[in-house]
Amino acid sequence: MSGDAELLDLAAGAFLLAAVGVLWRRDLTAQTSLLAVQGFALAAIAVILGADQAHPELYAVAAGVGVLRGAVLPALMRRAISARATDRETRPLMNVGASLLSAAALVLLAYAVSQPLVRLLGTASARALPMGLAVALIGLLILVTRRKALSQITGFLLLDNGITAIAFLAAAGVPLLVELGVSFDLLLAVLVLRVLTTRMRALFGDTDLDDLRELHD
Amino acid sequence: MSADTVNTASILVSLGQVTLVLIGAPLLAGVMRQVRARLEGREGAGIWQPWRDLRKLLRKTRIVPEGTGPAFRTAPLLAVACTAMAAAAVPLISTRTGLGPGADLIAVVALLTLAAAALALAGLDTGTAFGGMGASREMTITALAEPTILMAVFALGARVGSTNLPQIVAAGVQHGGRLASPASLLAAFALGVVVLAETGRLPVDNPATHLELTMVHEAMVLEYAGPDLALVELGAAMRLTVLLGLWASLFAPWGIATATGPAALALGLGVLAGKLALLAVLLAAGEVFMAKLRLFRVPELLAGSFLLSVLAVTASFFLT
Amino acid sequence: MNTLLLLTPLVAPLLAALVYAAFGWRRATAHAGTAAAALILADGIALAVRVMRHGAIDLLGGWLRADPLAAFMLMGIGTIALLAAASSPAYLAAAHGPDADLGQINAAANRRYGALVACFLAAMSAGALAGNLGLAWIAIEATTIVTAFLVGHTGTRAAVEAAWKYTVICSVGIALALLGIIVLYAAARHAGLSESAALDYRALAAHAHALDPAVTRMATALMILGFGAKAGLAPLHAWLPDAHSQAPAPVSALMSGVLLPVAFIQILRVKAIADQVLGAGFTRALLLTMGLSALALAALLLIAQRDYKRMLAYSTMEHMGLVTVGAAIGTRLAMAAVFLHIAGHGLAKAVAFITSGHIQHAERTTRIDQVKALAARQPVVAGIFAAALLALLGFPPFSLFASELALARAGFAAGLGWPVAAAFTLILIALAALVTHTAAMLLGNPEGGGRPAAPDALNLTARTPLITALVAVGALGITAWPISSLIATAAQAGHP
Repeated sequence: MSGDAELLDLAAGAFLLAAVGVLWRRDLTAQTSLLAVQGFALAAIAVILGADQAHPELYAVAAGVGVLRGAVLPALMRRAISARATDRETRPLMNVGASLLSAAALVLLAYAVSQPLVRLLGTASARALPMGLAVALIGLLILVTRRKALSQITGFLLLDNGITAIAFLAAAGVPLLVELGVSFDLLLAVLVLRVLTTRMRALFGDTDLDDLRELHD
Repeated sequence: MSADTVNTASILVSLGQVTLVLIGAPLLAGVMRQVRARLEGREGAGIWQPWRDLRKLLRKTRIVPEGTGPAFRTAPLLAVACTAMAAAAVPLISTRTGLGPGADLIAVVALLTLAAAALALAGLDTGTAFGGMGASREMTITALAEPTILMAVFALGARVGSTNLPQIVAAGVQHGGRLASPASLLAAFALGVVVLAETGRLPVDNPATHLELTMVHEAMVLEYAGPDLALVELGAAMRLTVLLGLWASLFAPWGIATATGPAALALGLGVLAGKLALLAVLLAAGEVFMAKLRLFRVPELLAGSFLLSVLAVTASFFLT
Repeated sequence: MNTLLLLTPLVAPLLAALVYAAFGWRRATAHAGTAAAALILADGIALAVRVMRHGAIDLLGGWLRADPLAAFMLMGIGTIALLAAASSPAYLAAAHGPDADLGQINAAANRRYGALVACFLAAMSAGALAGNLGLAWIAIEATTIVTAFLVGHTGTRAAVEAAWKYTVICSVGIALALLGIIVLYAAARHAGLSESAALDYRALAAHAHALDPAVTRMATALMILGFGAKAGLAPLHAWLPDAHSQAPAPVSALMSGVLLPVAFIQILRVKAIADQVLGAGFTRALLLTMGLSALALAALLLIAQRDYKRMLAYSTMEHMGLVTVGAAIGTRLAMAAVFLHIAGHGLAKAVAFITSGHIQHAERTTRIDQVKALAARQPVVAGIFAAALLALLGFPPFSLFASELALARAGFAAGLGWPVAAAFTLILIALAALVTHTAAMLLGNPEGGGRPAAPDALNLTARTPLITALVAVGALGITAWPISSLIATAAQAGHP
């Protein structure tokens, strides 16, 4: 039991560290690799929970999650990164040092906010729950402070990964049909955003979101 | 039998640690320089070269720039004294150091910071451009690195319920499995980055550079000569030894003596020498392959390590 | 029979989508969407009759549930969809002309338009009929995905910008709602509910006493914020004006009249559960804050508007804010007023948007200061637009007058006099702004710098549905006879 708890902590720790890595690295290609690592860490969390709580369907869910978030989505992102250097390096609105310090504050906030839920559930897996919330908050931070369209998609993927981690850690996943629906919606959302990015590149010449200035009051 | 009792044996242990650090620090610096030289394809000057340099410098007359005050004159001695005190407190050979409850994390970090601050003030005292530049850069790095050391060691101390360094190390010896937990791994990485920053090694600062505009630590002490320079260099080498020893005791505590019997102490001494030598070799080898970070990227690196240390603390508080 | 009734609103539009995807947009297939919408309306009416007689109907183990509220929403979806789908062929045909500033619109885009609008209708029906939080979430997220390309239909830079903002903001909002759903699910499972029951609205309401209050509070706040993003409420409302101004007019009509209310319905359902666990105070305070902020933002930004489609979008935000304030009041009268308001506003706004699409094609601009003396040059279009605006402003005999009056009475009766007074003051500001802008567009002399007279944009087939809709809104304002018992039962549902 305690061995499983330690493994779970390690997987959750790798999950959170991947998010920190996405925040730290400026290169978009490196960010997609870290997203893939995070997807596999998420699948590992599901596998450990499945072994721990004797839920065999969690293995199937883990396989699906690993394939979708560890392989398919990062591959889609990587293909969308053009070869031009201006599309690969990001210049965030908040510099990296300040982002990292904000991430430290967000981790503490996540721990504070999730206390009611952790106290209610009381299991060992629930104790790792704040890490999922921290990843979701870091995803929101990236969404808000980055200029490139692909960085916003990365932030959105982090947000969704964090929420899925919370689902696994709090309640051993949602019902299978809901999980399927959520995954399918996520895939479609990323595809839509990719197509929009391509159109943006064709119309604006670059995916810098600061160029989207025409609609305002 | 707690680590708090102060008796003759533990005082002898502390004195022994100080002597070891005093003698061994230049040796450690020499090992690092030799390894680096060999890897770079040079013959190298031998591991005793720093000691030969110190002897040469000590024989010179004392010379002090005009216009400097007590800050400049007392800084080298203060730096060496603080680092020696830290060496007495940190459990290097044994967890029964002579300072008992005084071997506190916060006290040790304060001592090390005092040493750095003394040298920074000396740099400012010279009134030269390079002195001021080096002092301000050094203080920026220290300001970002201090909280990280505190957090990283605090992550380990939270489990023990105390910031007493010997207690933390003793707990690490007893529960070896805990060192593989996320909290320890994160704290190890964060403390490693900070050790590099605090001791002026690559990628934060190049100790072998002769280009003043790229210097951080060297620029502060540019005006020192003769015996003062000998003390400064000795202080820098002792700082590196103490910090590496702290890292080794916290994250690789196997072999450290928990009793004060002579056999245990001898084993602890040997193991410490071996660990420090290994770390020095690894560090030097790594430096050959690393490039120095641009100065404005250093806060990024330190902020990242601070984040990791915060994660370590939260992990140790909230996980199993 | 029940199966047929509950599945038709989902299957019919999907079939229409297949027809569009397979055969493209031609004369023969152009009205497949209209047929699907008519089927949804008929189904809604039949369901309403059945539900009023026999009580709520379940299907697929509670995943689809038809209660009075769902039947009412289906009728609304059907009506507005019928209006929008009937106007789509005229809109797309006019867009085909030599209007270079409307972007490149071609046959492939039209086919995509038809298929996506039909899928949109299916997703909306699923959202209305959802008896399960999971299905509701999937349906609402599906609408975001489906409408993303509809918003970017014209392919201009502004359209792509609007589509990007819409997708990102709505997806983030809906992700927050998902987090809230998961937290509630965890609390429900901890309270002993089975996997399938832990997301079911009825089961959650029944077991409300066993749910932990602190966790439910967190979950409710997240869900209301998340679904509120889709319903156009602050703080995640920034997509609304951009998306409505750039989307084709029938799509804007559908979004204002159908999408926002269906998202709002989910808030009502969450509120019903939360009120049992936490008491009415928490959701009341949250909804009041969100509603009043949306109203304030809309009213103030309406004053400075320069684009008439954005103006209509802010008017939608204003009405959604008012409806949220009504939901915050929560009494039976307030809820009945809310439902009536949703119906009336949906119809009137749909007419307004479709007419604005015709104005856009005739005048080739969406700026208010470049459209002058419309009443003199295009009397029919101007007349319908003016009537729709009058309906939206709450003039009698249109039903929004009755619903706003009822909301005010309910607010004062429930002791929320000050917030309701503030809300109506803001509505007054919005009214002044809307009247100013519309008068600038419609009134005046044609010689004073307007464009040369063009043939009337609306022929008989285009104007009939619009005028019928306006007459319906007017009739609803006098008596809600066909649907009054339906609304009353739906309003009752929140109060056991």
